[in-house]
Amino acid sequence: MLTKNDLTRYERQILYADFGEEGQKRLKQSHVVVAGLGGLGCSASLYLTCTGVGHVTLIDCDRVELSNLNRQVLHYEEDIGEGKPISAARKLAKLNSSIEVTPVFRKITERNAREIIKGANLVIDGMDNFKTRFILNKACVAEGIPFIHGGVHGLFGEVTTILPGRTPCLACIFPEVPQRKVSLPVFGVTPALIAILQVTEAIKLLAGFGSLLTGKMLYFSGDTMDFTFRNLVKNQNCKVCGTKDV
Amino acid sequence: MSIKVKLHPILQKLAGGQEVVEVTGHTTGECLENLESRFPVIKQMIRDNRGQLRRYCEILVNSESTYPKELTTPVKDGDQIDIVIFVTGG
Repeated sequence: MLTKNDLTRYERQILYADFGEEGQKRLKQSHVVVAGLGGLGCSASLYLTCTGVGHVTLIDCDRVELSNLNRQVLHYEEDIGEGKPISAARKLAKLNSSIEVTPVFRKITERNAREIIKGANLVIDGMDNFKTRFILNKACVAEGIPFIHGGVHGLFGEVTTILPGRTPCLACIFPEVPQRKVSLPVFGVTPALIAILQVTEAIKLLAGFGSLLTGKMLYFSGDTMDFTFRNLVKNQNCKVCGTKDV
Repeated sequence: MSIKVKLHPILQKLAGGQEVVEVTGHTTGECLENLESRFPVIKQMIRDNRGQLRRYCEILVNSESTYPKELTTPVKDGDQIDIVIFVTGG
């Protein structure tokens, strides 16, 4: 049920015909897990919060560092040394006190991933490494939870929406988990843009309108300002979501 | 024999902005070597120092995965090879 405050706060998005009060109610009843509170996760959780998603869980095991501040917009100088979910949750609670924000200062592993995401309506990929992305991908497929992948490098970014059982998953495209974990170049604007595309997907998916980036990867090349797509094909032999015995 | 290699957007910058490069070869590996001979910087991006394909790269032929034969899959005239790169930053 939307309150009088809700109707005022979200008035401008409720005016969007395909969304309306029904869409806002759906967002209010939703639980989204934001995995990673770096460049992607900060911007994603900011817009999930201001758009009125009822419950946002923030998970990360890192602490804020000075070198994060060019892109991780929920962490300030005064937060250096603070756990990222705690730092982010403090700002989000001030932005929208009518929703629930749950910070989880914990590492995502093979053993706890399913427990962390269980019951969520979707998971936003804000990770900064291959290994945890693939753990989350597998956990989302196992739990049947949509997973909105985003990744960035320099001025380049990519987004796709994975619906377990219906669309290709990350392991369909990359059967082996890449091992690389190095500091990559990135401007703050790239994860901000990609995160906003992820949240756009989340809003449509949760409220039930529009079409989604399913079965295709959207690429953004900031150098040339090109947006391009690549179709993704489900791998029947996929070790995570395939239908054939392997 | 002409094979088209469609480059991931990150690689296009390393190939003078080209999205598709025509190469020759009988296998995906030969085609990639042909590509790398013309754009050596692409080799640094997609192979490790032992010459193995980096694991954040995947090779598709006519949109089908070649895993685990990324460098030995046969190709024929008119085929398209896609080089896909998975970006890790967040």
